[in-house]
Amino acid sequence: MNTEDRDRRGGRFGSPFGSTNGDFAREPRTSLEVVDPGYRSPGYWGRFHAAVMERAAFELARRRRLARESVAAVLSGWSRRLIPVAVAAAAVAVFLIGSEVRHAADPGPPLVLEDVLASEVEDGALPVVMSGQAPASPVAFMALVEGNVR
Amino acid sequence: MRERSDAELVIQARAGDGESFGELVLRYQRAAYSVALSVIGRHQDAEDAAQESFMVALERLEECRNPARFAGWLLAIVRNRSRNLIRRESLRRGDEIPASASSSGPSPERAADISALRERLKEALSTLSEVQREIVLLHDLEGWKHAEIADRLGMPSGTVRSHLHFARKALRVQLSDWKDYGKGV
Repeated sequence: MNTEDRDRRGGRFGSPFGSTNGDFAREPRTSLEVVDPGYRSPGYWGRFHAAVMERAAFELARRRRLARESVAAVLSGWSRRLIPVAVAAAAVAVFLIGSEVRHAADPGPPLVLEDVLASEVEDGALPVVMSGQAPASPVAFMALVEGNVR
Repeated sequence: MRERSDAELVIQARAGDGESFGELVLRYQRAAYSVALSVIGRHQDAEDAAQESFMVALERLEECRNPARFAGWLLAIVRNRSRNLIRRESLRRGDEIPASASSSGPSPERAADISALRERLKEALSTLSEVQREIVLLHDLEGWKHAEIADRLGMPSGTVRSHLHFARKALRVQLSDWKDYGKGV
């Protein structure tokens, strides 16, 4: 039930005026048209509106200017903070890229093929293989390596 | 096209959008005038107070904390402005009919009747309390609903109905001898 339904039924809390006054919606509207300036002068409300808008023009223009300035101020505020940060970030980036380049240009000591091959081979295995005495059987080979290490 | 809410219009008017502010004026100029008239009782002063109130509202739009309730906020400005006007100034005497009254209006006899009824109505309205005048003008002249008045004046709907009832009753008693009253003039 909306408010108007309630109004037609005499109010949410019932009528405060007894049964004769219960239904406000049935009360005739007061004929107040004659106090409406638009009743006497049909263009009145148009002129009223125009007068208000004319008086408001300056304030509206001020607000538009303020809004534009505040957008510009935000942008300029951002740029003031953004430019030093961007410069610092660029400097860091240049430094990092330079150091990467230096790393790439310095290859370090040359790798020897034997070192690579023997890098994960147990200490005793290599001399056995290199001596030419390595047995064909893997079990015998492991036994020889173990014995050699000990 | 979807009708923009008061809140949207207020937000855009804050940024200086004349079209939005103009729409707010269009929506509430009659209500503002009615409230001013209910406080002051004279056309010219009510017109001045209503127009000035729109200026004050525009200058203080940032103070309207809840833009969706712009109407209630505006009418409070109109009320205060009108009361201040009464307090401050020695008000001009007499009612002024707008200078550009239409020449295609009613006949001289009819115009005299209307003028006489207007005077009687003004007298009758002046016997009501300020809040009763405000409510009866907003309801019976501006066509606002009870709920709208209650919401915008910040009072319970039952109180609005009660004020309206007593206001109408008083007006009817005072104007009961008027031949055309209630027949739409």
